[in-house]
Amino acid sequence: MENKETVIRLENVSKTFVFRDKKVASFFTQLGWVFTGKNIRRIEALKNINLEVKKGEFLGIVGENGSGKSTLIHLMTGFYKPEKGGKAEISGNFIRLSLGLGFNQELTARENIYLNGSVMGLTLREINEKFDEMIAFAELEEYVDTKIKFYSRGMKARLSFAVAIHANAEILLMDEFFGGVGDEKFKVKSDKVFKESVLKGRTIVHVSHNLSTIRHYATRVILMHKGELVGMGTPDEVFEMYKNKIRVDKLNLRDYVDDDQSF
Amino acid sequence: MPISLTNLLSKYIPENNQLERIWILAKTDFKLRYYETTLGLIWAFLHPLIRMIIYWVIFSYILNQNIPNYGMYIFSGLIVWMYFQEATRKGLMILRSKRYLYENIKMNLYDGFTSSILSTVIGLAFNIFVFIAISPFFNISYSFHILWMFPLMLNLAVLVFAISLILVILNSFLKDISQVWDVFLLGMFWINPIFYAKALIFETFPSLMYINPIAGIIVNLRDALMYAKAPDMTMMAFDWLYALVLLVIGMLIFNRYFHKAMEKL
Repeated sequence: MENKETVIRLENVSKTFVFRDKKVASFFTQLGWVFTGKNIRRIEALKNINLEVKKGEFLGIVGENGSGKSTLIHLMTGFYKPEKGGKAEISGNFIRLSLGLGFNQELTARENIYLNGSVMGLTLREINEKFDEMIAFAELEEYVDTKIKFYSRGMKARLSFAVAIHANAEILLMDEFFGGVGDEKFKVKSDKVFKESVLKGRTIVHVSHNLSTIRHYATRVILMHKGELVGMGTPDEVFEMYKNKIRVDKLNLRDYVDDDQSF
Repeated sequence: MPISLTNLLSKYIPENNQLERIWILAKTDFKLRYYETTLGLIWAFLHPLIRMIIYWVIFSYILNQNIPNYGMYIFSGLIVWMYFQEATRKGLMILRSKRYLYENIKMNLYDGFTSSILSTVIGLAFNIFVFIAISPFFNISYSFHILWMFPLMLNLAVLVFAISLILVILNSFLKDISQVWDVFLLGMFWINPIFYAKALIFETFPSLMYINPIAGIIVNLRDALMYAKAPDMTMMAFDWLYALVLLVIGMLIFNRYFHKAMEKL
């Protein structure tokens, strides 16, 4: 791993969000807050993160809700900028995949495939070629021209998976993208495709509460806790730390860790 | 072939994901705006038409404007005005409506604006086409000056692009901007030569021609479409200058504050 080139580099990355609470108060009191700066809240979402992701690596990110996982992804992609003194770089084409992609509920599956396929870097020719394959994979042949607002959750999830595996990018950043998509049969199929085509030569950063995906694929896992990077290692090492952290916080660890459904 | 026009175009234009993406986004925007309704694209034309009839009735009786072909006179002004109004209101929301793009992929930050403006320009072009098509019924004869509509439309699109860049940033920091812009539009509407005679408004307030970038475009487009006249070049130069200066300012503001704005949305 040491010799491979670094594709994502975070140096001293911190991120604080500043916003104003919406409290009930009279108009003049609220106007006063604008000038006095009262009622301002600061959330330290990330504190001094240093991290490098190498080419071809599958990095899993785990942590509780609000620990800074998604913010970390946004800094990696450059969507958010780090505070002064920090540096965030990504080299290569990337796509961030999150649940539902950029699907528009008012469009049909066909229109959504063209829209999202293009967004994911596929040319129209490539989409034309892969169109039937995507629909077949998602098992939606009968509903190609149905608006996806009439789809079930499972159907939407299958469609987004089918489009996403064709994404034209070297780096995939998945933010809770896979999580119990489809029935058992579909899981087996998508698992196979995932291993055979998605992982091939790509760098993957994967945020998930579903630890089994990470356990299966991750080459390295980091643990986030209250905006800090508190642990790094193999999946088993980090899951052990995670369990302890959760135990300390008196959460029900069984809900998190023994949830062994693969995507 | 699933999407015919797109496939047709792609045969002649070299493969380019960025251009294709802008085109698909624009088409989607346009489709969602019009095709959902039963009357579809007709709405793009019905809006200015209905307004024209209302103003026509009101102003020919009250103001006694005495402009020949008054209906078409109002209609040509309304096409430009309503385009400007719709496109800037839409432009104000771009960061929100296109968030999924900015968040998920590496792309040129301006692509979201280009596609949004392209989708509204399709509606504008459609209305101008209808205007030209019905012109003979109102004794308007065609001339080569019609071609001036292209630089004028482009000028309008650049202006909208620039204003959208500025508004979208302001709006993310201060949500009141969308309300302020609506009031501003209302005011602008009344100082434009949409239903007044050009002479009336500019003789009373000569400077209006220059502080208001839409006025010149309306007057010039009307000259080209209705009166077979070349545009007033001073005014055209002025309007282009306006659009380009705003564009530079808009790009500076946008580049500087884009990421901060995204955190606020």
